[in-house]
Amino acid sequence: MIRILLLLSLLLLGPQGFAAESYLDVTAPTSGKMKLAIAPTTALSGSIPADVARELPELFGFDLGIAGPFEIAPNEVGSALLLKSAYGVQGDTAIIECRLVDQVLNREVVAKRYSGRLKDLRRMGHAFSDEVLRVLTGAKGPFTGKIAYVSKASGNKEIFIMDYDGHNPQRLTNNGSINLYPDFAPSGKELIYTSYKKGNPDLYRRELFTGQEARVSSRSGLNAMGVFSPDGNKIALVLSKDGNSEIYQMSRNGKDLARLTNNHAIDVSPAWSPDGSRIAFVSDRLGKPQLFVMDANGGNLRRLTSNGAYNVTPRWSPKGDRIVYARKEGGFQIYAINPDGSGDTQLTSAGSNEHPRYSPDGRFIVFSSTRDGGEGLYLMRADGSGQTRISPDRALNTHPTWSVNW
Amino acid sequence: MRKRIAGCLVVLSLGALVAGGCAKKDLVKEEPPPPVTAPAPEAAKPAQEARPEAPKAPVTEQTPVREPVVAQEPARETPKASGDLQGLLQKIYFNFDSSDLSEDSRNLLTRNAEYLSKQPSVKIRIEGNCDERGSDDYNMALGERRAKAAKDYLVNLGISSERISTISYGEEKPVDAGHDEAAWAKNRRDEFVVVK
Repeated sequence: MIRILLLLSLLLLGPQGFAAESYLDVTAPTSGKMKLAIAPTTALSGSIPADVARELPELFGFDLGIAGPFEIAPNEVGSALLLKSAYGVQGDTAIIECRLVDQVLNREVVAKRYSGRLKDLRRMGHAFSDEVLRVLTGAKGPFTGKIAYVSKASGNKEIFIMDYDGHNPQRLTNNGSINLYPDFAPSGKELIYTSYKKGNPDLYRRELFTGQEARVSSRSGLNAMGVFSPDGNKIALVLSKDGNSEIYQMSRNGKDLARLTNNHAIDVSPAWSPDGSRIAFVSDRLGKPQLFVMDANGGNLRRLTSNGAYNVTPRWSPKGDRIVYARKEGGFQIYAINPDGSGDTQLTSAGSNEHPRYSPDGRFIVFSSTRDGGEGLYLMRADGSGQTRISPDRALNTHPTWSVNW
Repeated sequence: MRKRIAGCLVVLSLGALVAGGCAKKDLVKEEPPPPVTAPAPEAAKPAQEARPEAPKAPVTEQTPVREPVVAQEPARETPKASGDLQGLLQKIYFNFDSSDLSEDSRNLLTRNAEYLSKQPSVKIRIEGNCDERGSDDYNMALGERRAKAAKDYLVNLGISSERISTISYGEEKPVDAGHDEAAWAKNRRDEFVVVK
């Protein structure tokens, strides 16, 4: 990992690339992680509110701690990296200046100044965390993305969105019926979901900032588990209009319907490969629910999972190299497997864990778990490490899905 | 920058969908990295730190609009209006991960068919349900299959398929919120609801 970081840093930093060498020196022998300390937030001028002084360092510590490459160090002395932040207010505008400093070579690795409304403070902080990962690993962080999920906080299942770390939960639907299966468009600005609000489980597409909504599929029976294709032009979904549940694809407006499966068995939970060429799904055509992969036109079908009697809810990693899913063995546990069926690996073991989905950058997997009682939202790194609760409340929260950065 | 704002205004007038995409550019305003300078000694820090550029535009963000409360699922007919037929139609139950009709279920369906044949103008909706243990995606289809199994049986007994609609609630409408076999057994069911 460190070697990869070194190489990437050399590529990215150009003339300053030699700075990366220092990270190696400090960290290589022991933990394998770079020690990163987070300085108290200072005031750009005057004084700083106590809640801000607490909130920003906590935010950076959470983001960069869960990120993976860093060990968040309690002391600035002896840490390879130091993240400094300063806060100020001009009228109703908040300003933060953030710097990442290489303490070994005494140089600034990256610095940014953000300004915005006071209530956008966390967004600005997450934006710098995204930037720190971009500079040090070559791939921007996903921390300014949103997570949509299904919550029973209001008594019935409604769609909510929140920051990736569980802050700022907002209710999107308010129709009192059952709302399920949220999926973001690749732009992050639209969401499709299934709702019973007009009786039948129909598929809706919501423009998030305007609230404008279209009912894009209201065929007889199920219109469920809709997922945008990677280019955003198509939707794969489950319809039961022809007698039993089958996988179809259609345009984002619900037109040009094409049936992809044709079987008396249950076929559900379509998941696009990131290049849009294949679709993984669940079928019980061999008796019990198992994962299958087919071409996006329905051809070239093959079974993916051979272990376990009940495997469901596949989701492709953004790089296309892994498929994460849930296996029922008593409760559910999350596994990941290579698209050729090799490398089947268990990622969770505490409680019952379902509905895994990768973050848009592939670093993380969000999922729901019963490990702390009820069913709440969690995230972990793609290798299963760093499992952390992110649920905003104690309500039943399931089906998380992570948007690109807003 | 002025060009971009002008672009946004034009797009806003064109349509909300596109406006969302345009708005993204201004969601988080971040500055290009300032020139890298050697970190200052602690005492001189304020004067020697790099100075990021002034912001070009405020961070903006729009709040998702709340959806008005809209119509709920179709109301159930009161038993009175359909001659107590609703009170006569019996639920049927299923084994785990199965849509097979047991002998009990077939007997109950035969009786339901007799009631339905006496009131040929009445339409019903069969609601398929599952317990909480399976995958909720999969259960949505399993509930559908349970409803269809009962419909097919009633149609075979001579009830017009035009009179029977089906819907699956998957595991979303348990009648018993418990987490034991007694509760699960009650929740794996078809309900027969008079709609007209």
